[in-house]
Amino acid sequence: MYNELIIDYSRLKKYKGKIDGAISQEGKNISCGDEITLYIKVENEKVVDAKFEGVGCAISQASANLMIENIIGKSLDEIKEIIENVNLMVKGNEFNREKLGPISELSEIKNYPMRIKCFLLSWKTLNLIIKKIS
Amino acid sequence: MLLSNIRNDFPALFRTINGNRLVYLDSAASSLKPKQVVEKISSFYLNNYSNVHRAVHTLSSESTSMMEEARNILASFLNAKNEEIIFTSGTTMSINLIVESFIRYGFLKENDLVLISAVEHHANFVPWVRLSKIHGFRVEFVRPSGRFGTLEIDDFLNFKNLNPKIVSITGHSNVTGQEIEIENLKEIFPESILIVDGAQLIPHEKIDVKKLGIDFLVFSAHKMLGPSGVGLLYGREEYLEAMEPFLYGGEMIDKVSFDNVTFNELPYKFEAGTPNIAGIVGFGEAIKYLEKIGFDEIKKHIYDLTFYALDKMRKIDGLEIYGPLDERHLGIVSFNLEGIHPHDLSHLLDEKFGVAIRSGHHCAQPLMSILKSESKLSVFPNGTNRASFYVYNTYEDIDILVEGIKKIKEWFDVQ
Repeated sequence: MYNELIIDYSRLKKYKGKIDGAISQEGKNISCGDEITLYIKVENEKVVDAKFEGVGCAISQASANLMIENIIGKSLDEIKEIIENVNLMVKGNEFNREKLGPISELSEIKNYPMRIKCFLLSWKTLNLIIKKIS
Repeated sequence: MLLSNIRNDFPALFRTINGNRLVYLDSAASSLKPKQVVEKISSFYLNNYSNVHRAVHTLSSESTSMMEEARNILASFLNAKNEEIIFTSGTTMSINLIVESFIRYGFLKENDLVLISAVEHHANFVPWVRLSKIHGFRVEFVRPSGRFGTLEIDDFLNFKNLNPKIVSITGHSNVTGQEIEIENLKEIFPESILIVDGAQLIPHEKIDVKKLGIDFLVFSAHKMLGPSGVGLLYGREEYLEAMEPFLYGGEMIDKVSFDNVTFNELPYKFEAGTPNIAGIVGFGEAIKYLEKIGFDEIKKHIYDLTFYALDKMRKIDGLEIYGPLDERHLGIVSFNLEGIHPHDLSHLLDEKFGVAIRSGHHCAQPLMSILKSESKLSVFPNGTNRASFYVYNTYEDIDILVEGIKKIKEWFDVQ
């Protein structure tokens, strides 16, 4: 599970921080106590910027960074499709690799049921924001 | 019995995990089970099983006597009377039973003081705090002034003059590994009702409840080689007699009419419904197994392993160990490694080295906030790693753990 992609993205700094005036949402992984706050800036139904705050394991941090990198510039409808495919991927079901891009390189997470919560923390938080604004 | 010979009783120890032999260092969460306990349960289910107490046929009679034999074993283990041994589903239920039963019989009233500590497991924390909000009694917390969550005598002495009605304290922290001297608690609070959470203590410590003056002692079978889903509540007879039952139903009844109910005698008054009969039989067998090794031997073995581990782990750069660093530290080592989240470290220890440890907040979130405030780490990860040792562990297990930590650290540093 701990490939280069995870290690590199877990240490990425550029998506860390707060965005003033953005929609924010807190998310929590109750099994370990890790928390994140996600900031999403939406203009004309499109995500124009996103960042997050919080500490966590390499898998949760890499997943959050990779998620943000792949939703900036996408429409809310496109993001909903991505979320659907992420959920299919972690359950080990067929999913659309094209829609997930580099995120699909972490599909191995399906073999680690104890770590899926780490991987999904940022995605669940994003889903709460999408529900809030749709 | 030589401890080196008992590993053969635990087939799980001969499994491999990704090609490495299993190194099981998570007994504080739940211990492995020896063949003797599993075979006892299996044979009981296959040959003797029926419901207990009510029917007059042979199987029911055998089941009843096997369950009551387990009660005899537990009673003599603790030097208690059979009437004072109540089987529950585990420590959590035992504590909830005490709190709720006290409230129901009007013993815990507005402004009464209950003293617990800040290092308690949620099971000895949440029932008191939550029900105090509804029923108006007060809860105070003994805060650890020693290193990383270590409770000192003075911390308890601060509350002596408040004369708490109840003192409910863990006998052994599931995070810091600190063993608490029960004699001291009794001396500081001679008038208080003393409840000891023995979930981590009893697996390595044989206790005479009468000699120590403990009013209630609770613990679980699954942390001491027994099955899950069964635990114990020892209560002093005079309290149990007065307390209102926690669960109402079958077995706990003396007489029921349309407008009145009287209860069965002790201990059945607190054992409503069909109990975990096979679990209780297995619990008795686990105690027999441990007694055969001898509790002095068990404790010495765990001490030796703990000091060996503490000594080796302290030498790893960037590794922060929680709890005391003296003879109060036993069986459980919680730690963090700079720059590596506990979930990542424990995942990699399992994947690359076959080492099973626990990671997370260990159901002790208030204590985590205390550790965080004292931590020198650049980022405290809201939890810790925890390695714990029991009868079947060896020095080699600790060598593999320590080597694993060092290699993962190197690997993370290089990446």
